[in-house]
Amino acid sequence: MENIYLTIVLAPLIGAIIAGLFSVSRQTAHRITVTGVALSCLLSVYVFKLMVLDGAKPFDGAVYTWLASGNIQFEIGFLIDSLSAVMMVVVTFVSLMVHIYTIGYMADDEHIWPHDSLSAKNSYQRFFSYISLFTFSMLTLVMSNNFLQLFFGWEAVGLVSYLLIGFWFHRETAVYANLKAFLVNRVGDFGFLLGIAAIFLYFGNLHYADVFSNADALAHITIQILPNQEWSLMSVICILLFIGAMGKSAQVPLHVWLPDSMEGPTPISALIHAATMVTAGIFMVSRMSPLYELSETALSFILVIGALTALFMGFLGLVQNDIKRVVAYSTLSQLGYMTVALGASAYNAAIFHLMTHAFFKSLLFLGAGSVIIAMHHEQDMRKMGGLRKYLPITYWTSLIGSLALIGFPMFSGFFSKDAIIEAVHHAERAGAGFAYFAVVAGVFITALYSFRMFFLVFHGKERMDKHTREHLHEPANVVTWPLIALAVPSVVIGAIALGPMLYQGLFHNVIFIAEAHNPFPMAHYQGVWGFLIHGLTQWPFFLAMAGVATAATLYWRGFTHIPAQIQARLSWLHTLLVNKYGFDDFNEKVFAGGSRALGIFLWQVGDVKLIDNGMVNGSANTVGRIAQKIRHVQTGYLYHYAFAMIIGLLFLLGWFVHAA
Amino acid sequence: MVQFIFYLFATVLIFAAVRVITVKNPVHAALHLVLAFFSMAAIWLLLEAEFLAIALVLVYVGAVMVLFLFVVMMLDINVATVSEGFTRYLSSGFLVGLLILLEMVAVVGSHHFGLKAMPAPTPMAADAVVNTVLLGNVLYTEYVYPFELAAIILLVAMVAAIALVMRPKRWSKYVKPEDQVVVKAQDRLTMVKMTAEKES
Amino acid sequence: MNLANLHLLLPEIFVLSMACVILLVDAYWRKCLHGIAYQLSQATLVGALLFTAFISVKEPVIALSGTFVWDSMAKVLKLFIYVITFTVFLYSRQYLIDRNLFKGEFFVLGLFAMAGMMVMVSAHHFLTLYLGLELLSLSLYAMVAMHRDSAQASEAAMKYFVLGALASGMLLYGMSIIYGLTGSLDLTTIAGVIAENKIEPMLLKFGLVFILIGLAFKLGAVPFHMWLPDVYQGAPTAVTLFISSAPKLAAFAMLMRLLVEGLGSLNVDWQGMLLFLSVLSMALGNIVAIAQTNVKRMLAYSTISHVGFLLLGMLTAKEAGYAAAMFYTMVYTLMSLGAFGLLLLLSHAGFEAENLNDFKGLNRRQPWYALIMMIVVLSMAGVPPMLGFWAKWSVLSQVVAGGFMWLAVLAVLFSVIGAFYYLRIIKLMYFDAPTDNAPVLKPSADIHWALTLNGMVILVLGVLPESLMTVCRVALS
Repeated sequence: MENIYLTIVLAPLIGAIIAGLFSVSRQTAHRITVTGVALSCLLSVYVFKLMVLDGAKPFDGAVYTWLASGNIQFEIGFLIDSLSAVMMVVVTFVSLMVHIYTIGYMADDEHIWPHDSLSAKNSYQRFFSYISLFTFSMLTLVMSNNFLQLFFGWEAVGLVSYLLIGFWFHRETAVYANLKAFLVNRVGDFGFLLGIAAIFLYFGNLHYADVFSNADALAHITIQILPNQEWSLMSVICILLFIGAMGKSAQVPLHVWLPDSMEGPTPISALIHAATMVTAGIFMVSRMSPLYELSETALSFILVIGALTALFMGFLGLVQNDIKRVVAYSTLSQLGYMTVALGASAYNAAIFHLMTHAFFKSLLFLGAGSVIIAMHHEQDMRKMGGLRKYLPITYWTSLIGSLALIGFPMFSGFFSKDAIIEAVHHAERAGAGFAYFAVVAGVFITALYSFRMFFLVFHGKERMDKHTREHLHEPANVVTWPLIALAVPSVVIGAIALGPMLYQGLFHNVIFIAEAHNPFPMAHYQGVWGFLIHGLTQWPFFLAMAGVATAATLYWRGFTHIPAQIQARLSWLHTLLVNKYGFDDFNEKVFAGGSRALGIFLWQVGDVKLIDNGMVNGSANTVGRIAQKIRHVQTGYLYHYAFAMIIGLLFLLGWFVHAA
Repeated sequence: MVQFIFYLFATVLIFAAVRVITVKNPVHAALHLVLAFFSMAAIWLLLEAEFLAIALVLVYVGAVMVLFLFVVMMLDINVATVSEGFTRYLSSGFLVGLLILLEMVAVVGSHHFGLKAMPAPTPMAADAVVNTVLLGNVLYTEYVYPFELAAIILLVAMVAAIALVMRPKRWSKYVKPEDQVVVKAQDRLTMVKMTAEKES
Repeated sequence: MNLANLHLLLPEIFVLSMACVILLVDAYWRKCLHGIAYQLSQATLVGALLFTAFISVKEPVIALSGTFVWDSMAKVLKLFIYVITFTVFLYSRQYLIDRNLFKGEFFVLGLFAMAGMMVMVSAHHFLTLYLGLELLSLSLYAMVAMHRDSAQASEAAMKYFVLGALASGMLLYGMSIIYGLTGSLDLTTIAGVIAENKIEPMLLKFGLVFILIGLAFKLGAVPFHMWLPDVYQGAPTAVTLFISSAPKLAAFAMLMRLLVEGLGSLNVDWQGMLLFLSVLSMALGNIVAIAQTNVKRMLAYSTISHVGFLLLGMLTAKEAGYAAAMFYTMVYTLMSLGAFGLLLLLSHAGFEAENLNDFKGLNRRQPWYALIMMIVVLSMAGVPPMLGFWAKWSVLSQVVAGGFMWLAVLAVLFSVIGAFYYLRIIKLMYFDAPTDNAPVLKPSADIHWALTLNGMVILVLGVLPESLMTVCRVALS
């Protein structure tokens, strides 16, 4: 079995290396990477079958000892259980779809680059290399059995994300966006690293199983970080780790990088910034459930952060005009939902939503990408409209994606989102009331902005220019097939996975939920139909319908002049939303400006004066002078050399024989 | 009697050794070295190491030093240049030499190696197996591996000497037809591209 | 005569016999079979590798009346020496052809030198250690002087020879003192006699100092390093490559045999002496390297500083420390191979690449080799994730564990100084414009791939260092 796991991880890596480092042709590049990812997808499905359907015993073992230091072994190992099996299938499947889609999307990428730019020559191969490398990184992250490897995968996906956001690095905005993403993620990673360090300090080990089995023993330890402040060790560790998750999974206030990351090519927005990388934080918290269950404080913190993200990021989707940004804000909001679920101890619901979201959100992104291709890389929705008749496949698949997103009954999102709302309703910890309000209100907002986008793009007046309209047609098969392939799970996966994931203990012994917290006891399970009927009588369903209806009247037929009036009346609100609540300005002024000022100060005073002139140049000059002096000892005369040896002898004899 | 012979040869040995490095004429130095070897051999004989003594005389005095003398005579080294700087380095050299000598004497002197610490070896019985036989016995049995290695070192020395000295090349200028045949135009003529220079 | 276990000597016997065969074949058929000596030498190395690899003896075996020992350290080091020598011959080929030095003697002497290393690695006796050392040194002297038309090479050989004779005289003197005190040349017996504590320690220390000087000379530790820069610079680069790589492994083995196996109970004494040599070597090596403009000379000083680091591992006088030192030596030889291999590659007929300026703008001309050189140089500077980082790390962690915190700090400080001249090469390669319009060289495929492999090994093992470390740990336990 270990060989299978190794193959799953290494196949994309080998693909990435071949496509990236060897000068292969475009065809070879995409063939080899698609083969690699397809192979790991197939094997992942096989592992999924073994772990989930046949109920094989989880695998936890090292494949290679990377380094041994004293008694501590740093190993590369795999922990394969139902949770990682689900993640592996989701990651590799979405990745495979994106790989195939990319063949079409990047087909004439070289035209985007400035004329005669060297980077354009192999940008196609480079792109495939990056996304394969990303798949490798994500797989190491989810299959890891220890914190070190988790951290490696964590950083590696961050790195690839940086590379991909700035893929078109001739655009200044892309460079700005990737720098921003990297820096914001560093903030989160710093917390994450501190958390891992704390675990290493107190548990003396980085292996999951050992840490979890000792967690209970350390649950009541308190530590002093500030003088006279006793903090629970578990809360500190959990919150530190969650800060890492906030960066990666884009939670308020570390969410600012995600909308900007839309500067990257659309396939990676689908793969990285919707389906996989951003879910790393959710996955990590679920994986660490034995730790989080011990800290009520940390869970409340998570709950509130998630609720803030879910509600307020949804509002921002209402005022965006860039098609990809709307989807990006909806991603933020949905990530908020997952985080809320984590905070409510419904880790399984979070993973459930993660999975359904991965399918329908990548579907939406790829659909948006398809529109963008058709529109010749135009992303402004105000210049679209009426695309329904030109792009039928994209239209229908996008409709499916949108319905799944808003939680239309029987679509996958319906089950997962309702499960989260139920769980929050059931939760009793601090902040649960606010969180419940946020997620329920969020349903309306979600429906509103999703269908606002849908109607603006596919219905209504055709607002594009004549030239574009003449060339409108459905993109190639490599683009449309992944859409269809993703549309299927977007519809059905919710109904299939509902029972096993939430009620029937698929994650038994994998995700640990204290009995008192469990929002989905087996006894409450009424089957898919029962869940459906229950859902149809609840607030969220009506709110979603209301949202669709509002969107239809405002942006399709009826009162299409009203949005402009609202905008005029409530201009302060609109400004607030367009400015994204001022997070960017705040960061730009306070953090970026502050660090720049501090940097300039340190540079001028500390670096230039003290270090450069004083220490570096001073010591370098001193060393250089000494070097020039000593080199003259090497005269080239043989008898000087022999004399030096004799002096050495004299000294050794004198010191060690006679003096000692 | 034995003591008298020992001190005689020891004095000659030290005198000869000092002369080796102080005389100006290299031929004289080599001859003094011969004398030193010879005195050494005599002292070894006193220690009943007759094989080593004979080997020293035969190999070093008989072969090596004679060769040395030939070389020195043939090269005709300028006496003055060799001794140049001798006085300049004399003081520091003398000081360091003296210090080393003191340090060594303090350890290997009579305090640790005198007759009290290390009793004199008892003379061999008349019917004992002689030194040469003993050496011969172990040389080809117990020490066969080092012995073979020593042989290889000699082989390497030979190979090295031949490789470094033998010059199959002919020094006179002559025509090589085989080289003339394969010569190409590029070998003879190099086209150099230069940017035009303006006079300033 | 005890010839049991003679099969353990098969590799040595094979190499020496083949050296003689090559000598003869080269003498008679060098005209009609061009390069036969080279091919036979490489075949010999492969053969020796197979012989050594197939001898599997679990426990250490002492054979031939205690003059020879077969243990796992000997096996590992021998295998490594073959690989290094093979690569040296491979890298040197084109260089030698260009300079009309592609003759049988080079390879025969190389093989003899390697036989000397094998003897040293497997020695268990003062005599064999000394003879092995002499066999190695004599061959090296001749190889340095090989380029007869170069005055520099002759001068270097002369210096090497005279100073080497002085050092080997001191080593011999030390050995004879120890022999006089213990009455034995066999390392186990010597260790046993010393452990009885009946001998005046001052006398033992006296012998130890002389032995240590012999070792320090071979390694090139300050102040017995004076030969090293001149020989590195003066010798043909191919020979420099050889001197700088495999013999260091043999010197490490000699350290282990003499200091640990033979004089292990004097560890308190040699710890202090090694400390002295180590600190001086790191200081002088790193500082003086900065002032060099000749790459070969600079690498010579870099070698001196690396030797200082190697000695750090030894002076902990613990098994883990020896393992770290062995790891360091192996890594050093790999890096040295890479660096000098590239110098060889950049040199071509009528041009000797040896000045720092020859690296200017290498990236524009030959980006791939610039990349390999960068990997090698970063590794030498000890930048993670290159292998050199782990070498430094493993030595330093042992030094800290041994309680020499200040020494570790000092070593890191000197490494920082050393980083300057390593990084300067990278700066020259990547940020400076090429000075001359040197031709873009197309080396033959085998050399290209060997160099690529060399660089990749440094990089890949740097990411996964545990395997080589384990080899060293197992070899010494």
